[in-house]
Amino acid sequence: MILHPSIMALFMSSFLICLLLMYSAYYGFVILRKWDIKSGSEQQLELERRTYLISTILTYVCGFQLISLFLYMFTADILHPLFAGAMCASGALSVNSYGYPTLLLKIFNFMAAGLWLVLNYTDNRAYDYPLIRTKYRALILLTPLIIVETYLQTKYFRGLKADIITSCCSTLFTSESSTIASDLASVPSVPGKIAFYAIMALTVLSGIYLYLKGKGGYIFSAFCGLTFIVSIISVISFFSLYYYELPSHHCPFDILHGEYHYIGYPLYLCLFGGTLAGMGTGVLMPFRKTASLMETIPAIQKRLVVFSLVCLLIFTVMVTYRMATTPFILEGY
Amino acid sequence: MIELTDIKKVFNAGRPNEFTAVEEVSLSLDSGKVTVLKGPSGSGKTTLLGIIGCMARPTSGRIHLTGPLMQGMAFAPKGAPAEVTSLPERFLTEIRRRAFGFIFQQFNLIRGITVLENVMLPAYPMGDDFKSLRERATRILKDFNLSGKLSSRIEWLSGGEAQRVAISRALINDPAVIIADEPTAHLDTKLSAEFMDIVKRLKGEGKTVIIASHDPIVFDSPIIDRVVEMRDGRISGEHIRS
Repeated sequence: MILHPSIMALFMSSFLICLLLMYSAYYGFVILRKWDIKSGSEQQLELERRTYLISTILTYVCGFQLISLFLYMFTADILHPLFAGAMCASGALSVNSYGYPTLLLKIFNFMAAGLWLVLNYTDNRAYDYPLIRTKYRALILLTPLIIVETYLQTKYFRGLKADIITSCCSTLFTSESSTIASDLASVPSVPGKIAFYAIMALTVLSGIYLYLKGKGGYIFSAFCGLTFIVSIISVISFFSLYYYELPSHHCPFDILHGEYHYIGYPLYLCLFGGTLAGMGTGVLMPFRKTASLMETIPAIQKRLVVFSLVCLLIFTVMVTYRMATTPFILEGY
Repeated sequence: MIELTDIKKVFNAGRPNEFTAVEEVSLSLDSGKVTVLKGPSGSGKTTLLGIIGCMARPTSGRIHLTGPLMQGMAFAPKGAPAEVTSLPERFLTEIRRRAFGFIFQQFNLIRGITVLENVMLPAYPMGDDFKSLRERATRILKDFNLSGKLSSRIEWLSGGEAQRVAISRALINDPAVIIADEPTAHLDTKLSAEFMDIVKRLKGEGKTVIIASHDPIVFDSPIIDRVVEMRDGRISGEHIRS
């Protein structure tokens, strides 16, 4: 099973990412200790040149880290026919105790790597490396997280045994048990819908305010984070039901299947991408008064706001369109 | 003003063929003056010119630019000298395009395209209106008596004409500083004197000119303000004439 092409791709990429991150983190550590922009010493000029290499490496590393979340979901999904009882990725992830922790850490690292890319992109727009220490401190924090993720992922894939009988999503995401997944599945639909559209409206309004006035970055960023959590809960608790047209099937993974036109991929891409871009505006807020970034950051934030709002609105339109056009009526069950 | 502080340039550092081309060079070059870097082959003149013109980075040391050559640069804090050796490549490109005009020893004109196209080429990335760019290039070429050669290919030009095209190309983005590396190396006495007349004219227009040369026609010329002598990568002497 470990020789499955998707697993090998994830293995190799994760180990490469770890190696490149450790190399970069080492130089990040040296930069944090030795960096002195006022000095014209050979070491300082060498570090300045080295930081271009590190920055380029990390752009690709973090870029792949973003993609690897979706590859992991895809891999878990296509592996499910190999396990008795599994109907989709949720069953495959339950084969051993490392599947879901890896997924959760991958989601966290997706956001962390994406925010690092925002910092790095912004720093590279300036002439005097204003975020050099911030971004390398962040890198030193990010590196162990991705190493732990690789460890968990390795344990998960190495622990996949074909003779294991696992659970199907209908038993994991049911409102009749007492797990976190079932708590999410049992959120009532009407208050859930009100909460989803209310938080989405507040996010859009705060985004428009940030775009027009250049203020409220922290608020928009916080709303984006909240939108992400509420949207995931909404997908599990009621949006998924409209796709399956079943009142008791809450699986967030079945929508990745071809029979549902792979709708899960654009949905999650929009949700994750929109959230990441929105949270990126908040990450840049502390540096708005840095002299070399005073003009750059508002321009970057505007682009992030537009990207975030477009993604979140596409997500909202997709789920709303499904709710409006399906003959399935949820309320009453 | 261009201020160099303790510049050092080592090629192939850490390898058996390590070579130190420039060492312990500190220099202040005033705006609007003509400076000659004089010295024998291998003395580090060309390397130093490349570093001053932001075409190469030093191994250590800093370069600060200030005054008219930094006008319009997004990264130059108002009035303060801008340190250029630490700048990311994107900003160095902007400096090379706007602040410096280069005249190379071999002229480095592009064969197969016309004189006018050669002169316009360094201005293409600036995104200027094509018609006004063409007019500007035509005007510069006319100033150098090359009006009749606009459509000529580079390979059809004489040495003197090629030299004037190279100078025209260096001026297309109206740089504050002209850098010329051994500009008279392939010219006879008459053409070398003609070149010095052009340098005089550029000085009159307020341009800063830095020339690397070991040609007496250049460094003995009365229009030169300062001669910096180099040997073995270091400054070995200096003469200020005005």
